[in-house]
Parts: sequence; structure tokens; C-alpha cells
Amino acid sequence: MGWEEKQVRGYPEFVQTAQRYHGRPIFALFCGDKDAEGKSWCPDCVTAEPVVRKELHNMPDESVFIYCLVGDRAYWKDPNNEFRKNLKLTGVPTLLKYGTPQKLVEEECFKVELVRMLFTED
Amino acid sequence: MATLWRRRERFLGVLGRLCRTVRALSGKNEYDLLVIGGGSGGLACAKEAAQFGRKVAVLDYVEPSPKGTKWGLGGTCVNVGCIPKKLMHQAALLGSALKDAQHYGWNIAQPVHHTWSVMAQAVQNHVKSLNWGHRVQLQDKKVKYFNMKGSFSDPHTIRGLTKAGKETIVTAENIVIATGGRPKYPMHIAGALEYGITSDDLFWLKESPGKTLVVGASYVSLECAGFLTGIGLDTTVMMRSIPLRGFDQQMASLVTEHMECYGTKFLKRCFPTKVEKLEGNRLQVTWKNTDLGTEETDCFDTVMWAVGRAPDVKTLNLDAVGVKTSSETGKIIVDASEATSVPHIYAIGDITEGRPELTPTAIAAGKLLARRLFGQSSELMDYDNVPTTVFTPLEYGCVGLSEEAAVQCYGSDNVEVYHAYYKPLEFTVAERDATQCYIKMVCLREREQRILGLHFIGPNAGEVIQGFALGIKCGATYPQLMKTVGIHPTCAEEITKLHITKRSGLDATVTGC
Repeated sequence: MGWEEKQVRGYPEFVQTAQRYHGRPIFALFCGDKDAEGKSWCPDCVTAEPVVRKELHNMPDESVFIYCLVGDRAYWKDPNNEFRKNLKLTGVPTLLKYGTPQKLVEEECFKVELVRMLFTED
Repeated sequence: MATLWRRRERFLGVLGRLCRTVRALSGKNEYDLLVIGGGSGGLACAKEAAQFGRKVAVLDYVEPSPKGTKWGLGGTCVNVGCIPKKLMHQAALLGSALKDAQHYGWNIAQPVHHTWSVMAQAVQNHVKSLNWGHRVQLQDKKVKYFNMKGSFSDPHTIRGLTKAGKETIVTAENIVIATGGRPKYPMHIAGALEYGITSDDLFWLKESPGKTLVVGASYVSLECAGFLTGIGLDTTVMMRSIPLRGFDQQMASLVTEHMECYGTKFLKRCFPTKVEKLEGNRLQVTWKNTDLGTEETDCFDTVMWAVGRAPDVKTLNLDAVGVKTSSETGKIIVDASEATSVPHIYAIGDITEGRPELTPTAIAAGKLLARRLFGQSSELMDYDNVPTTVFTPLEYGCVGLSEEAAVQCYGSDNVEVYHAYYKPLEFTVAERDATQCYIKMVCLREREQRILGLHFIGPNAGEVIQGFALGIKCGATYPQLMKTVGIHPTCAEEITKLHITKRSGLDATVTGC
């Protein structure tokens, strides 16, 4: 049956989506907001997104891929933002398997082998 | 005959090389280094070898415990040893701190309760993040990882088997065996295997073990019993003979004496004879008390065996390649370069005969081995003066020789022991008993009085001993230590003030500031 993608923005939307698909493997990529031309304020996110997308086909069946925009730079830089506080995110981009300690942060998301490992390992 | 044999060897060698070439050409794996066992030593060795640009693979496979507990990459230390142990020890120390806190003015509603599942979940999550971290590091350093159980099929070939039974053949020029050890179950005690757990299970329990009997007097036993007591569980240690064999025995008795004061019960000179399951899942343990010659019983929720560890060699098929093991311990015999009886096969860590079973020594040995194999180094691992700490409720850290070993080596006339009973400053306000806070330094008596061993019981013993280990490694002497200025007020400074010799018979209690 393959996998599906959900695009969300902000923490409440993320949580709502993650809850809706509870029980299925959930992978999430957190990136900085994009401008009118579709370019993120976070250059590492710009690099990571195509690498991650190219590997999405490796996700297990029934997976949900949540592409989450975390907000603008000012919101993200706030050390008490909800992503940092509740999901313990330390940087964008972060690619993670929801509900597990398995995650890739910043430059790790550029590496095809690591991204593939995150999608394929138990 | 010898010539013939050599010729045969050479022929076989050529054949072997041909076979390997064929293997390589047929698209099978071929590595410069294959490490069997992804624990502290194995991973360190593999990663170091990869730094030299070599083609490296690691095989790791966790055989579930008899109770069915299993875990991820990283070996004993990460999954069922040092890491979860230290974190649970910390949970227990916090409990003591809560008691102290009231003396320092904190209002804490009594009684306080500890929830096992919260601690266990947090510890287990941390361990899982470390498993993942190891996977990321291997991948990042281009070390191939196989989640397979390995066994030798010839001296350069390992047959790997996945959980699903899929077979992969891996060939390598050099092979390092680093499969470590696992807790032993006692033989011939009815119910031991069926109803008992080991340290492989304790850290992964989802629910509190409840009233627990820990059998054994190893550091594993005392540490586990210590933190179980510390988080408020009714805990008993059953020991047949002496505690902490191999450690300084005066220190060992102080450690157990403190545990008794702290609430751990001890059944000394007792050995279990059977474990039975009662209604309601309680376990009834029967044991012999050798002092009284009586048979006694009690009920527990959990029985944990901490009666030693055994090497994990069975599945390796070592006989097929001629890797020699000790007939007594089953461990692999290695020389100073960690080489086994087969020249290109090495072994490091807990699997090796006569080596300390410690993570940092395995890591160091693994790294040095990789450097000798691929980095033109000739440096050997130095196993002398390895510091360590037992994380009992009151910690015991040491480096170098025990008093017994020093006396045996040099004779009692040639050994001077400086010692002190001290009181950590923070114990005073908290009205904590410091009877077992004790330091002992074992020195040569003659000439410069070189320090042979240092033993410390007190808070943060590991942190205290680590730095002094450098001095002792460098050959520090008693007068040099006396010239070292202390940091006031600390427990470690008491070491720089040691001046009472055991020989003098004077009171070793530290007084004043």
C-alpha cells in the first residue's frame, strides 16, 4: 500500500497529525519556513530536503511522512519554542522516526546512507 | 616431515589465497578487518581501523537472555552494564539527596515514592538513543554492519546468520573476536533458570522487581543490590564467601558494611538450594546457612543471579580454526599484542583470558590493535594501573595494587600503608554517618616510596580516582603527593593529607579542618 505524505506547519498541527496516524510508522522532517519563492530561510534544509525525498521510497509500508515547517527564524531561535521543548529538537533540519530515539540532525540529513538507514532500520 | 608440512602449508596458503580471490571476484564481501561483536572493544577497533581507510565490517548479534530480554548495538556496557547501572545508581543517590535536602532547608513531603517504570523508561530510551548513535557512527565511518551471529568456517571466513536464518559469508584478512561475556546461571539449583533473572534482564524490566534476592558477591551483585535498596526496595544479598573477590578486602568489607547500614540485608555464608514458584507468582527460595548448618527459606518477587560471567564463545566454532581457549575459563588466550594462537585472528575485551573486564580497557586495546594492524604503530596496551570504581551506594574507587597484592609482591616489611577515616563536609549538616568513608594508599616503604595502589571509599569515588590514576601511571611517590596542594573543601583533598601509617597503630580518624 506504500506510504503517504502530510504537510503541516507549526507544532499544534504536527501533534494533531502525528496523533491521527498513531500506530503507523511516522517519519518527520522538520524544516524552516519557506518564502514566497518556496525557499527555506534555513540553507541546510534546502540541501537536505531533496536528499530525504529521494529516499522516501525506502520507508516501510503504511508509513506516514510528515513534512513539517517549524516556523520563521525568530520563532525557531527561541530556545523555549514547542519543538525544542517538547520534541527535544536541537536543530533544523531534523529527520526522525516519531516515538523512537532515531533521528538525524542537520548535516546528517545530507547523507544518503544515514537517511536510508533511518527509513529501513527497526 | 616438517618440510613436507611446510610445503603443504604453503600449498594450502596459495590455495587459500586463490579461494579468496575467487570469492572476491564472485562478488562476495571481502574486508581488511572483520570484527565479531559490536561492544565497546569491537566498535572502537572497527572505527579506528576505518580511520586508516581500511575496509571494515562488524558483526553483532544479541542472543536473547533466557528470559527473552534483548537489545541493540553497543554491547554489555551500553545495554546491560555500565550505562543503565550508573543511571539507576544515580536514581538511588537522588533518593539519599532527598533525605539530606531536608536538613538543608528543603521542604519535601514525606514519604517520597519512587516509580520504577518512569526510571526504567527513561534509562531504556537513553540506551536506545546510544544504540542508534553507534549505528550512525558506523555508517558515517563507512564500517559495514551486519546484524548477524558469526561463526568461523575457515580461518579467513565467517558464516553470518541472521535472526531469520539467512546466511551470509564474509571473508577478511584480519579477524577480531570481541563477543564479550554474559551472566552465568548456577547449575544444579532447581528453578534457577526457570524463575531467576540476571543483570541482562534487570535493566529492561518494565515493572519494579519488588522484593529482590540478589545472589552473588561480585561487584555486579553489590551494585544492583545497592541501587535497588536505594530506590526503596526490600533487597537481600546472598553470598557464599567473600565480597568483591580480587579487590582489596578491607575496602570490600567496608563497602558491604555500609550497605548493611544503608538497609541492604545480607545472608552471609549461605547458598541457595532451590527456587520454587508459589501462587501469586512469588518465589520461594530455600538456602543452606553454612554457619548454623540450617536450611532456611523466604519469599521474594525477584531472584537475580550475579554469580559471575562467562565468555560468549560457543557459537564461534573456534575449534575449526584452532583458536585456543583456556580450559578453566573458556576465554580466548591472547599474547601481549592481543593475537590468538592463530596469527591473523585477534581477541579483545571480556572474551580474553586474564584481562580486566572493563569497557575502557577494551576500547583502548581495540584502538591500539587497529593502529598496529593498519597504522604502523607498535604500541601495546598497558594493563597495569587500570583504575576502576564500584558504584555501590557509597562508591569505592581504586587504582593499582590492593594491600594484599602489594604485601604478596614486596613483603609486608617493604610496604607502607597510609590511611585515614574522613568525613565528607556535606555529611555533617545532613547528619549522615561517615563510618566507612576511608582512604588507603599503599606505597613502597624504601627510598622514594613509590605509590603502588590507591583506594578510596566515598562520594564520587570514580571522579576522585581518575586524576590520581595519571599520577600513579607516571610513577608518583608519597613525597610528591604530599607536595600536591589539596582543593578545599573536598573529599579528594584528604588523599593529599594522608600521614598516618597503618604500622604506627595511631588513630587514623581525620579531625578538624
